[in-house]
Amino acid sequence: MTDDDLDQRVRASILSEEVDTSRVATAVRNQIQTQRRHVRGWAVAAAAVIAMVLAAGLSYRAFRKEVTPPLCVDAAEDHEAEIVKGEPRRWLTDLSAIQALAEQQGVPGSAITALATTGYRLERGRLCSLTKQIFLHLVYTKDGGELSVYLRPRGSESPFDSSVREASVGPEDLAYFRTDRLTAVFVDEQSRAQALAFARAGAKVL
Amino acid sequence: MPQLAALLRVARRLTFDPVSAEDLVQETMLLAWRGFHSFQTGTNARAWLFRILFNVFHGQGRKAALASRPVPFQDRVAPGLQEAAEIAEALDALSLEQRTVLLLAVVEGFTCQEIAGILDVPIGTVMSRLSRARQELRKNLAPLAKEAHR
Repeated sequence: MTDDDLDQRVRASILSEEVDTSRVATAVRNQIQTQRRHVRGWAVAAAAVIAMVLAAGLSYRAFRKEVTPPLCVDAAEDHEAEIVKGEPRRWLTDLSAIQALAEQQGVPGSAITALATTGYRLERGRLCSLTKQIFLHLVYTKDGGELSVYLRPRGSESPFDSSVREASVGPEDLAYFRTDRLTAVFVDEQSRAQALAFARAGAKVL
Repeated sequence: MPQLAALLRVARRLTFDPVSAEDLVQETMLLAWRGFHSFQTGTNARAWLFRILFNVFHGQGRKAALASRPVPFQDRVAPGLQEAAEIAEALDALSLEQRTVLLLAVVEGFTCQEIAGILDVPIGTVMSRLSRARQELRKNLAPLAKEAHR
């Protein structure tokens, strides 16, 4: 018997056997459907979790927006009017005059120069009213940009805490905090990162 | 479902147990479905399926399979196909390795190269196993052939 004869007989023998695939086919289909449902279930659950996270994020943003302190809103509007739009105001540009004005309002004159040690240069200063309270408005410059710093002696009514926080009001980005002595708001319409960096540097020296 | 009959045919001669064979093929098909992303388009899908089958079979424990006893051929073949039954019996008497390469080469039509890929053994091993399987099968069939000539 040649290899071909043998192979042919083996093939014919094995292929003559009946092979019922129905049970296996049904079982496989059922398992695949079950797993697909399982996967769909996970996908739905994952989508729900993502939706919840997004909703929570949006709610948090809305909440943050709602609780932006009125002082920050006023500071942003003042910065917009006096710095961005350049509405005419009387400014002091002499350091000693600004320091004297600060001392009159209970803000240590050393705070003004201390802020200047963080890489920003004092440009001018004046008094302004925010939430019906007098604040010292200082304008510092760095790299051609102007940033506003609003200072007031810290009272028991200070709306801030000691950690530096961020806020946005319209195009203005703000960072604010209080120290043992002062309540401070930093405003920049060009860069939130710059306002925050200046505020963090200021928090260390004020 | 493609290749189900071929897989089941081979699985039955690996396990010698219809239920175990169906379980083996079921597991194979599910693994193929889950791992379809790993199948490279343009390669041999049949060989890929059989490779999974043998991986599952070896993973399930080869000792158990070797300890199995072939079921009587009357349970597997239609009555009247005496020669087919005798050949099947002779085939089942081969060692697992010889039976495997013979089934893949002769019944399923794979080349030695493809079988080497399926079983993950060198092609020379496949060729020698196939040659010995044919010799062994002839030997097993000889008494039956003599009886047939009487």
